[in-house]
Amino acid sequence: MNQPVSQKLFFWTLVVISIITLSAPTLVVLGASLTSGNIIVFPPDGLSLKWYEALVEKQELQDAFIRSIWVAIICVFISLPTGTLAGIALTKYRLRKGALIQTYLLLPFTIPLIGSGIGLMLVFGEVGVLGSLWPVGVATAVINLPFMIWAVSSSATGLDPDLELAAQNCGAGPVQTFFYVTLPSVMPGIITGSLLMFILSLNEFLVSLLLVDARIVTLPVQVYNSIRSIITPDLAAVSVVFIAVAMLAIAVLDKLVGLEIFLKSK
Amino acid sequence: MRRNLSSYPLMWRLMDMLEAIFKKIWPKGGGFWSPYLMLSPAILLVGLLVLGLGYIGDASLRTLDTSTFLFSEEWSLTNYERALIEPFIRSVIWRSILGATIVTMITLLLAFPYTYVMVRTRSAFLRKFLLITLFLPFFIGQVVRAYGWLIILGKQGIVNDILGLVGIEPLRMLFNYPSVLFGLIQYMFPFAVLMLAPALTAIPEEIEAAAESLGASWVETMLHVIFPMAKSGMIGAGLVVLTLSLTDFAMPAILGGGTQDFVANAIYDQFFRTSDQGFGSSLAVLLIVIGSFLVWVVFVLVGAGTLAMGAKDK
Repeated sequence: MNQPVSQKLFFWTLVVISIITLSAPTLVVLGASLTSGNIIVFPPDGLSLKWYEALVEKQELQDAFIRSIWVAIICVFISLPTGTLAGIALTKYRLRKGALIQTYLLLPFTIPLIGSGIGLMLVFGEVGVLGSLWPVGVATAVINLPFMIWAVSSSATGLDPDLELAAQNCGAGPVQTFFYVTLPSVMPGIITGSLLMFILSLNEFLVSLLLVDARIVTLPVQVYNSIRSIITPDLAAVSVVFIAVAMLAIAVLDKLVGLEIFLKSK
Repeated sequence: MRRNLSSYPLMWRLMDMLEAIFKKIWPKGGGFWSPYLMLSPAILLVGLLVLGLGYIGDASLRTLDTSTFLFSEEWSLTNYERALIEPFIRSVIWRSILGATIVTMITLLLAFPYTYVMVRTRSAFLRKFLLITLFLPFFIGQVVRAYGWLIILGKQGIVNDILGLVGIEPLRMLFNYPSVLFGLIQYMFPFAVLMLAPALTAIPEEIEAAAESLGASWVETMLHVIFPMAKSGMIGAGLVVLTLSLTDFAMPAILGGGTQDFVANAIYDQFFRTSDQGFGSSLAVLLIVIGSFLVWVVFVLVGAGTLAMGAKDK
């Protein structure tokens, strides 16, 4: 379509501002991690990888990273089956009290994170499991569950009920129908949802902050604690780990389902 | 025929077994209970959250005795009265509500053209570029992004270094209200675009062409055709941005430097600095009430927008 010049100008000005705002922190952190000086300055003192080498020495950062990965794995392990089943059920069946169930399942989004975090902290504290890592994984699964349900249910709307009937007509029982017809047709949603859950859980800061103690800090909390003392470039090098994981996730997502899936209308 | 029987694949045997088990448990083939059964793990998981809310509600009704450092046995509304009277808390609440409103408006203003260009562009490369630019910060997390802003805006930060090169005195750009709002806008942007995109995709391009062929300028087409049709997406995006920024913790904590606390920071301080669980809980309840009230108002006025999950009622 031919757009008038004024429209192009207006839109593109805002788009360029947005692109700069979106990318600036990432680019700067990348740049800062490569500095050869001891403080972060612009223009940089010179390039070096010495802050990455310094990471090898930092046992507590490595431990925090591994803990964060565990938390993310636990989160996906819990939310994948839970969210998939719920997403399919919500889409396939016209449920009695469907609206009520939907509102209920959206609670993790409508309740502020600080509220959910403190509530879960009190619950886990009551049971006496605070201080281990798995409650953090469970908590991140709870607070992000709607993302998983959502991803699955939006790809389940494309599921043709006739296909399932056809499978049953050919002699497939309910289990076979589920694994060979229903599940493959919502696979893009499951992949998207699991990746989202993994990344969000890996990056989860506030709920981690509330649920961990000094012995089991996760990486975002570790970075937060360090930011508040002194800012040194080794922190930038750690942050690049997050950036690298994010890039990897985007690449995988694009390869497997295509980023354009997020532009589709339901 | 014997050969065929022995070559019956293992997978099929497994499936037969599962089918048999399934049949044992639900002889009638599932029927009424099966969707509810499928939903039960999710309902239980979210149940943890509800349980947590119960604990918060209970704690919020118990007052801390500062001499013995114990919480009262009886319930009372003292904490809530304190929360509504104390000027510090009041200012924190207003700062959060005002901040969330400003952030929502600016984010929507920026996210709309971004989404529009991304959805409408003919160039697959541009679309991919905009998507990646969007997802990268989305996947990086708040702490690292805030850290990036510290490097850019700090006293010895990049912007001040550049200003110094042209002889301008260093500016104090951090630890004030605008820097917190700015950080929030950048944090919320991807959420807004992802909520808007499906709504804009759903609008056929021909409709714009039709509006223009009838003599509408592009501004009129936007205002009278695209905005009304994208309403559900705008509502979804606006709601998500509003509630998330209202209740955010990391940006005020890192970019505000303790001087620009939002409600979440005040709650955190009550729990971990003052150790007054009761008062902290009452603030948490207030925040939930304010947040839900805002969401409820929008739901009643204009519906759930793109926030609805699963089957549409329409």
